[in-house]
Amino acid sequence: MLKMTRGAVALAAASAIVLAGCSSSGSDDEPTTDSTAGGGEPTAEAQAEDITLWLMGTDTPDTLIDYLKTEYADVNGGELTVEQIGWGDAISSLTTALPDSENTPDVTEVGNTQSATFTTVGAFMDITDMYDELGGDSLIQGFVEAGSVGEQRLALPYYFGSRMVWYRKDLYEQGGVEVPTDLAEVTEVNASLMDDGVGGFYVPGQSWRDGISWIFANGGDIATYDGSEWTATLSSPESITGMEQWQELFMETSVAQVTDDDSTAYEAINDGFLPGTPAATTMAPNWAYWSLGDIAENDEGEPVATWNEEKFGAYALPGVDGGVAPVFAGGSNIGISASTQHPEGAKTLMRIIFSEEYQTMLAENGLGPANLDYADTYAEVAAMGDIALTAAENAKLTPAAPGWAAIEEAKIMEQYFAAVAEGGDVADLAVEYDDQINALING
Amino acid sequence: MTTSAPARELLDAPPPPARPRTRRKRPRLPYLLIAPALLALLVGMGYPLGWQVLNSFREYGLAQQFGEAPAWVGLDNYIALLTDGGFWSVLIKSVAFMAVTALATMVIGIGLAVLMKSIPSWSRIALQIAMLVAWAMPIVAQMTVWNWLIDDRNGVLNYLLSYLPGVDLVGHNWLVDPWSFFAVASIIITWASVPFVALSVYAGLTQVSEEVVEAAQLDGAGGFQMLRRVTLPILRPILVILLLLQLIWDLRVYAQIELLQGFGAAGDKYDLLGTYIYGLGIGQGHFGVAAAAAMIVLVFTIALSWFYVRELIKEDQS
Repeated sequence: MLKMTRGAVALAAASAIVLAGCSSSGSDDEPTTDSTAGGGEPTAEAQAEDITLWLMGTDTPDTLIDYLKTEYADVNGGELTVEQIGWGDAISSLTTALPDSENTPDVTEVGNTQSATFTTVGAFMDITDMYDELGGDSLIQGFVEAGSVGEQRLALPYYFGSRMVWYRKDLYEQGGVEVPTDLAEVTEVNASLMDDGVGGFYVPGQSWRDGISWIFANGGDIATYDGSEWTATLSSPESITGMEQWQELFMETSVAQVTDDDSTAYEAINDGFLPGTPAATTMAPNWAYWSLGDIAENDEGEPVATWNEEKFGAYALPGVDGGVAPVFAGGSNIGISASTQHPEGAKTLMRIIFSEEYQTMLAENGLGPANLDYADTYAEVAAMGDIALTAAENAKLTPAAPGWAAIEEAKIMEQYFAAVAEGGDVADLAVEYDDQINALING
Repeated sequence: MTTSAPARELLDAPPPPARPRTRRKRPRLPYLLIAPALLALLVGMGYPLGWQVLNSFREYGLAQQFGEAPAWVGLDNYIALLTDGGFWSVLIKSVAFMAVTALATMVIGIGLAVLMKSIPSWSRIALQIAMLVAWAMPIVAQMTVWNWLIDDRNGVLNYLLSYLPGVDLVGHNWLVDPWSFFAVASIIITWASVPFVALSVYAGLTQVSEEVVEAAQLDGAGGFQMLRRVTLPILRPILVILLLLQLIWDLRVYAQIELLQGFGAAGDKYDLLGTYIYGLGIGQGHFGVAAAAAMIVLVFTIALSWFYVRELIKEDQS
């Protein structure tokens, strides 16, 4: 984290000079003469290029990263450096690095809802010509739109995840309740568990990415686009109905608090840190599978979770009239920096990422593959893949508006949900936060 | 270069009066010695500062960061800020936070220094070591420890307080209410900066000459009178600069607030100037407005320091 206050702004501009000394992109390495050492088919531009890939967070497992490195070295002969950027630093890191050809990552992952902020200012290279080669219309279309400006394809889908409900079978049984079949029942079931002191729903007050489903399920939305500008719609009757239903859920069933966010949702249901009433229900992306279960120490003495079929289960969040509620479509886009000095190397890496082999590896590791041709594999092999796919088919994205990243950075949605969780009047708060969103959303 | 031009002028000019001639003989060594520091300052501070001044008069957002030509907007950024209630609320909060925290740090620091002067040396050394450790602790480590202490569910603070009859604070989050949030931040920052003040003042106290103390005692000064009338005036130069440093540090506090926000208090009602400007610039991509905000803070800081510089000049002259 940057500790400067006065210099923070200038830092963005000055980073070109300041950081030049510690660049790890190796961008000024001259291609070596033994560029055919890779042994792959030499193409017209067969030069070994050292490139850098930025991945956000640690969602991409190490085995996949190793595969990318090996495969890139084989095809191109150059070295691929992978740097993981924390999600919290994603926007500031991209803002400062992408415009600067000396320090830019050649290829970078970006949160799907953050894509528009960067595509609209020209931070990504136009790869419309590669679109069909990389999967074309088989790619998950909601994400393609989030990474496009008009007909230009700039950032393509990388992986998707869908939020689902995870529950403790043992606690549901103890409380004598069944898996709910509509949204109102979700509240009823957990309220009944809460009354019996058996368990509750871990509803973090700031976790709008989970809570937004209640707005979506009631037909509401965060903002709508009229062809020229975005307008916030938290105060539409549908959005307010959804938010009131979520408020009721929080008030009656939550074992989490107003200041909690979704980062602790996994541990909560593992019975990790809650004193008193345990969490019987929580919401998390499908890859939470790898973190849920009975906790035991492994050989290195680190606590690891082992999935226990008897004790844990999952279901898709039910809709207002049964069926499946639309959930927030989590996931990422990936694209080539417009200021890269190695466009060919970057394109090679994109081809590897969108190859059948890598897409299958994503699916096997629980990350929804960008190319839906491999969705069947995903449904079969990924843990909870079938539920995840059902949820993903009903998933919705946040507005692909230029100012959306600023709204995320200012934590406006977190504040709105926290204010509602504190018991505020939903209709009044909705108008207040609509104003805040409108001030930023159009960039 | 700068010396050659006037020198040539002098050759053509009629014989100069005596004063400038002696001035020309000033030794060059001091200038040479100060040159590297000046250069480092110019490169390290001058360039970013120049950018900042420039940007504060321009429309500079994400689009400009990615290559679009920035447009000059004159004072628009400043006007937008100064007519925005949000900015004023952050500014007032920051100034109040600065005043309370700096004052508390000074009072506790001076108190500890006086205490150290009057206790046996083994306990003084123990106290000094404890304070040095607190002072040397990295901010992230400090904040992590404090976060554990005040944790709403499993923190020792809530656990102990709940032993008081009629108090049940397990589950109470100290970071939700903004007043409570800033109180926690103020306590942590005070805790972390007291050692610096205490050790500096203690060092100053050891310089108070025994003769003066004896003379005051002979005149019948008691303990408190001695402190107020004799010791503190002697320490005044040290105290003034310590207070100034504390004020500036506490005004531009950033890391502690940012980390505390990361522990669960999201949103602008928990912002002080540091986090506010960072969010505005790096977070939301409004570099121009953020630069203007930083300039306003800079002017404020200079005004604050001006008081000290004036003091220095006064002391120089006396």
